[in-house]
This record gives sequence, structure tokens and C-alpha cells, in this order.
Amino acid sequence: MIEDIINLLSGTFTSMAPILLAATGEIITEKSGVVNIGLEGIFIISSFTAAVTALYTGDPYLGLLVGIIIGLLSGILHGFISVYLRGDQIIAGVGFNSFAYGISVLGMIALWGSYSNSPPVPKMPNIIIHITENSDLVIPPITITAIVIAVITWFFLEKTKWGLKLRACGEEPKAAEAMGVHVLRTRFLATVVGAGLTGLGGSYLVIGWLGSFIKTISAGRGFIALANVAFSNWNPLMAIVGAIIFGFFDAFSTYLPITLQKITGQQFTAEANLFMTIPYLATVLIVAIIMKKVKTPRALGKPYIKE
Amino acid sequence: MPKENILFKFIRSLIEKIKIKKHEYIMATIEIVLSALIGFLVAGIVLYVMGYDPGEVFYIMFNYGFNDPEYLCGKAVPLIMTGLAFSIPALAGVFNIGGESQLYWGAFIGLITTYYVTQYTGIGTLGTIIGILAGILAGAAWALLIAVLRVYRGINEVITAIMLNWISYFMIIYLIIKFFTNPVIPHQSIEVPEKASLTPYPGFAIAIVGTLIVYYLLYYTDIGYKMRVSGLSPASAKYAGFDPSKAILSSMIIGGGSAGLGGSLLILAISHNIDTTMSTIYGLGFTGIGVGLLGRNHPIGIIFSALFFAGLLIGGQWVELKTGAPPMLSDAIMGIIVIALSAPYAYRLLMNYLSRLRKR
Repeated sequence: MIEDIINLLSGTFTSMAPILLAATGEIITEKSGVVNIGLEGIFIISSFTAAVTALYTGDPYLGLLVGIIIGLLSGILHGFISVYLRGDQIIAGVGFNSFAYGISVLGMIALWGSYSNSPPVPKMPNIIIHITENSDLVIPPITITAIVIAVITWFFLEKTKWGLKLRACGEEPKAAEAMGVHVLRTRFLATVVGAGLTGLGGSYLVIGWLGSFIKTISAGRGFIALANVAFSNWNPLMAIVGAIIFGFFDAFSTYLPITLQKITGQQFTAEANLFMTIPYLATVLIVAIIMKKVKTPRALGKPYIKE
Repeated sequence: MPKENILFKFIRSLIEKIKIKKHEYIMATIEIVLSALIGFLVAGIVLYVMGYDPGEVFYIMFNYGFNDPEYLCGKAVPLIMTGLAFSIPALAGVFNIGGESQLYWGAFIGLITTYYVTQYTGIGTLGTIIGILAGILAGAAWALLIAVLRVYRGINEVITAIMLNWISYFMIIYLIIKFFTNPVIPHQSIEVPEKASLTPYPGFAIAIVGTLIVYYLLYYTDIGYKMRVSGLSPASAKYAGFDPSKAILSSMIIGGGSAGLGGSLLILAISHNIDTTMSTIYGLGFTGIGVGLLGRNHPIGIIFSALFFAGLLIGGQWVELKTGAPPMLSDAIMGIIVIALSAPYAYRLLMNYLSRLRKR
């Protein structure tokens, strides 16, 4: 029993990190008035580049760094299109998701000749705490980093002058401009920073968790992170709670079939697919229950046109 | 002479329309052409970096992509319908990226209804017709779920759509493996009965008729008018006395129905079964987003952009056969085209800049 709880906890700690990092990043971006639904694409492309780097240099930390840089570059692209070219932010995001998937899988096939996954890459070590004889609590260091970043982000957004200016760009850009805030520049930077955090989450998928790049590495996680943003009501502290909940269901969907197989002694084949739907079903249900009360930044998704 | 008069009038009104909207049409053409060029340019660079000859790849892509009209039309059928599934709600101001799973359910429900109706009645045509209708209903119902959550619970339709896509993906694999496997070929579903199946051309014809019906609905009926007004300005819609959320609901029903029709036509006219890795039906909804955008959310434009994307997909398969370059290239090209289409303001800036240069 205690082992089950520890396993589930470890699973939750492992799977919450990317959801929390991307959600925190997206909160920064959206609070400034830009919506980036390309999180899924950033996850894919930065996990791919992190895998390539870690594999060829043998250094997982370098992989992590390259993943972040690729995230920042994606943010520069999205920021440029949404802020300076006044593009449709949703369309740009959808396009980026498709591009990132195409280019990463293309690269995977070109480099390793495989249509499903990369060779194993060096991983970052986890923090392991012995609880009982045969069960350890696993905490990835990136998860702790993600929680710290979320707290710092909350402090920055809610308690500092700069945070106030950033939020003004997402609520009343005209008033912010009159106050002397550079709306365009703030929005651009917020988009870049948000995408950088998502890039860290993406490279974690390979470096901190799975240990190789697979075609379906993101599997909708970018959108679960978006759901978490709405769930948290754009509050990074609540996003930690959300990431724990969404991460739990992710862990639960792999834990449940294994445990059921142990108890009943039967092997699941077709049913395995049903268990896979758990995180997505949980996301829809949770957001459907909670959503009525949230408050979206007022100028979200609307390009600001400077007079 | 009255017949000639009507024709004359029609042509004159058409010329008039083009004259009035000349600037708009020119801008649209420039946007489409430039976006496609940017897409191929970036793809060319990627190919070059990966060690392939871009010239050869694009030559094969265009040479083989468009030389089998029957295959091309067949490939375009689901893309036309998923393109509509994106564009109709887009006109009403909703982002339907759930065309993917709406097509899945259309395909799955279309398949099993056709199969059982044909088996019990023995009449193939009846199976086909009921299968198509069931597919439309399935797609519409699945899309309505997204719309209801958006309208009554305020949930962003993008999030719901992606979650529902993944849920459907795994559900359908489960249903096929568990209940509807082909006893002879275990990695495939049951087949559409021979006498109920269609060939690609009739499938294409039905898709065109469907598109024309949608065109009529959008531009010549009350519902369509309300949908377009709500999309352009929800505030004006409210001021004019109609409810923008009703427009969202009806646009999603029509859009989802289109994707469902695309799914059932795909099964009846082209693939005749679904394999357990979903490769027969996967990705068509996402490509539909590109189709809708490149067709500028206009039903007639969508037919042409679907044919264009179908050619790219077929060309991509040939490229893989001939040079070994992976077919995901078409995903990447499509993504870049969509990104390039997202910023029409950029082209206006460019045109202004060019005209200033000319004046100087």
C-alpha cells in the first residue's frame, strides 16, 4: 500500500515538471496579452534538439541548454509574428505545432533512420529518497526548479513594478502605453521568456525523464499545460497545484494498468488504449468543472496597434 | 433573347464585383503565393541541410503528385471536408482544430453502420446512404460537444478539441481491436462490403456537392449570414438582435458534420477499412487547417487548396519512394505555409514598401 502511494507520488513528481514549466511560461506570455498555443510544438522541437545535443556531446546539461535556446528562438519567431507583424496568434501557433512535428520527425529519420524513436541519450540523475526497503521516492531536480520558478514568477508578476507593467499590457495596452510602458517590447520579451521556459520543459522530457526522443513525446502535454493556465486562473502558485493534479492523472494512467494486471493476473491488450485516455478525460472534466469562474486578461490575443 | 440577357447580366455583375474588390483579390493572391513560396523555400533549405537535393525532391513532388487524377481526387476528398470543418467555425469566430477526431468518428460510425445495414438488408446502396448520414451525424455530435463546452462553460475550444482528439484516437483503436477486427487480417478493421463501397470519383462528386451546399448555407441563408456577422463582430451581432453563441453552436454542427462526411467518404470510397495504427485516417484533420487557411476560408477556395495539399501528400510519398526523404516533409511545408499565412499585415507592409520604392 505504502509502496503504491510512493510510486504514484514519484510518477506525479516526474510528469508534473513539463506541465508546470510550460504553464508558468504561458502565464507570463498571456499576462502580457499574447497567446501562444505552440507549446506542443516547442515541447517537440526542444526535446528533439536536446536529444541530439546530449547524444553527440554526451552531456545532458548541454542538451538542456540547447533545448532552452531552441525554446527562446521559437518565442522570438512567435513574438515577432504576433507583436510586430500583428499576425493571428492562434494560426501562427497551429502552424508552428505542425512545423515542429514535421521537422523533428524528419530529423529523427534522417539522423537515426528510425520512424519511432532516437537511441538512448545520457540522462540527468534524479534525487532518490529511500522510504522503505523496496520503494524509493524519486524527485527530478527539474521539478524542484520548476516549482521555484513558478513561485518567483508569481512574486514578479504580482509584487513588483515590472510585473504590474507587464500585466497592464495584457489588460489595457493603451493605458500602459500612456503610462510609459513599451507595450510591444514587453509583449515580445514576455513571449520569448515564456517560450524559453517551455523549451526547458521540452528538453526535460528527454534529459530528465524518458531518456530518448520518441515521435509522440509530447502527446498533447502542451495543451494540458494550456488547460493548466486556465485552471490556475493565470496564477503561477495555482499552476503548481494544477500541475500536481494533471501530473497525477498522467502517472495514474500508467500505474493503473500495471497494478490491475498484478491483481487480476490478466494481460491487457486492447484495454491498454482505454487507460491512455485518462489524462485527457481528466483534463476536460477538471477544466469543465472549474472554468466558469476564471478571468482572462482582457486584451489577450489582440494585436496592439501603436498610434 | 432573355437567356442571353441573364448570362450577360451575370458576367457584368461578376466583372463589377472583381472591379470593386480588385485590391482585395490582388492582396489575397499575393498572400497565398508568397506563403507557399516561403514554405517551399524553408523546406528546400531543410532538405539541403539534411543532404538531399531540393531541386530533385520538388521535381518529383510536383511531377508525380499531380499526374494521377483519380488518386488525387480521392486524396482530396477528406481534405476538402476537414478544410470546411475548420473554416465554417472560423467564419463564426470559433477555432475548430477538432476536425481530426470529428473525421475519426465519421469514419468509424460510417464504417460500422454501412457494414451492418448492408449485412441485414442486403442492399448496398442503402448501406452507403445510411453510412454517409451516420458519419455526418457522428462528426456533428462530436463537434457540438466542443461548442457546448465553449458556450456554456467558457472553455477554450482549442484545449477541448485537442483533448477530444486524443481521447478519440485511443477509443477508436480500442473499439476496433476489441470488437471490429477483420478476422482474416488482424491489424485491420472489418471491410466496407463490396456492394456498398464507392470509387474515388463518386466520392469526390459527393464532396463537391457537400461543399456547394455549405457555400449556399454560408452565403445565401439566414443562418450563414448570422454566423458570418457573429464571427466578424460579436457585438454587432448582439446589437442586430441575434445571439453569437447560437452562431457558434450551428457553425460547429455544420463544420463537424463536414468532417464526419469526410470520414465516411474516406472509408466508403478510398480506404474501405481502418487499420489499428490509425494510419489510414490520422493527420487529415490537421492538414485540413492548412487547407482551410490557404483556401481563405471560402468553400470554393477550399476545393482547390485541398487538391493542392493532396498533391503535396501524394508527391511526398513518391519522394520517399524515389529518394528516401521522409514524407513528414509535407507536414513541415504545411506548417511553414500556415505560419506565413498568419500574418497578412506583413504582406501589406511589404506592398506599401514596394509602392513607395516605385514612387521614388
